[in-house]
Amino acid sequence: MRIFDRTRRARLLVALLLSAAIVLVTIDFRTQGEGPLDAIGRGIMAVIGPLQEGVSRALRPVGDFLAGFTQVSSLKADVSRLQEENALLQQRERQVTDITRENEELRRLLHLEQSRGDLRFTTVRVTGVGPSNFEHTVFIDHGSAEGLAKDMPVIAGAGLVGRVVSVSPHSARVLLLVDPASAVAARIASNGETGLISGKGGAELQFDLFDTGAAVTMGDEVVTSGYEGGVYPAGIPIGTVVRLEAKGNSLSRRVWLRPYVDFTSLDHLLVVTGRGAKR
Amino acid sequence: MIWKRSFLLALLVITGLVIETSILGEATLVGAKPQVLLVITVALAMGEGPALGAGFGFTSGLASDLLTGLPVGLTAITYTIVGYAVGAIRAQVQTPTAWFPAAMEFAATFAGVLFYGAVSLLLGQEAAGGRSLILNAVFAACYSALLTPFIYPVVRGLGSRLRPARAMR
Repeated sequence: MRIFDRTRRARLLVALLLSAAIVLVTIDFRTQGEGPLDAIGRGIMAVIGPLQEGVSRALRPVGDFLAGFTQVSSLKADVSRLQEENALLQQRERQVTDITRENEELRRLLHLEQSRGDLRFTTVRVTGVGPSNFEHTVFIDHGSAEGLAKDMPVIAGAGLVGRVVSVSPHSARVLLLVDPASAVAARIASNGETGLISGKGGAELQFDLFDTGAAVTMGDEVVTSGYEGGVYPAGIPIGTVVRLEAKGNSLSRRVWLRPYVDFTSLDHLLVVTGRGAKR
Repeated sequence: MIWKRSFLLALLVITGLVIETSILGEATLVGAKPQVLLVITVALAMGEGPALGAGFGFTSGLASDLLTGLPVGLTAITYTIVGYAVGAIRAQVQTPTAWFPAAMEFAATFAGVLFYGAVSLLLGQEAAGGRSLILNAVFAACYSALLTPFIYPVVRGLGSRLRPARAMR
């Protein structure tokens, strides 16, 4: 008898929890991520952020080891490609330590910061990645207290990374360019042909050119187009054209890009906090 | 007792979330991220039954949802169902083998990722995996099975401490 009671109680609990979850889904859809649930999310981020940062710093070698361990197959492919391309580079690659890599990355960021005098930057560090297999985001160690706000562009030494989508006092969440929810107005650097880049979750980015007759060739560099009131400033490198789709009857021409940024090993980044000359 | 229990469970959610997003965050298995909170949910459900499994699944799923830009409540629904189902199935097994926990983690993660992906698509969310949902589910399930020997004993040990003391007759 007691077992049946327990089973009934468990089923009742599940029914209540599922009802509550369905109500939450409904509230979230109606408020479009701007309601009380978003505030609770920011609260959780405020708690988790410092912990992530602490754990990332303390256990970084372990994390690097695990990341390397689970990516053995892709690392092997990278190594063989490097062997073919440049034996000298491969030799240097073997000698690279975590500190020299970090140093190099910071130098690139500094160079970028100096070369773009029209933008104001804040240097941030990645503290964690989004928990879902259905979203491509990272957490950074700066938030609203350090001047960050929603929709600020995020850049790495190599190029565009994404934009800030959620901010708590001391941490923020960045939506990466490869996420399907990401869309960026872009142009081909050589001829100015414009279009829209969207992520597909994989290694390549989809670039739909507005002009179906646009001249585009393999290896063309693509940069942000930047327009008045837009999220991204003009001229930030995104990637190069690696695949062309046959011209069809669609309203746009589709090509595929390989982004300059390696989204699997983000560490130090720049957040564009303002535009106009530095004071 | 109830406060201590709730506190420990909340601590388990936070710990799982921090591990999932920091130390194991970049350690993907063929592109699949570790589902640490789901592994903990399954381990708790197997040891403590469907009610605690569902309750913990709901809490951890909701915490995970609130940290993403994805629809809030979807992971909570998925983990609640997984927690309850695993607890109910475990109750039917008289003598589980040594492989049973890993097999359950594999099956639960596979079903959980498939369920989440299918509901997301129904709600108009585009899959972010960049490959088929089934492949994503298979690799995530393999990852959970690999994590079982490390997480399962710890969670089971903690689960036994959470049990309310029974009066001796």
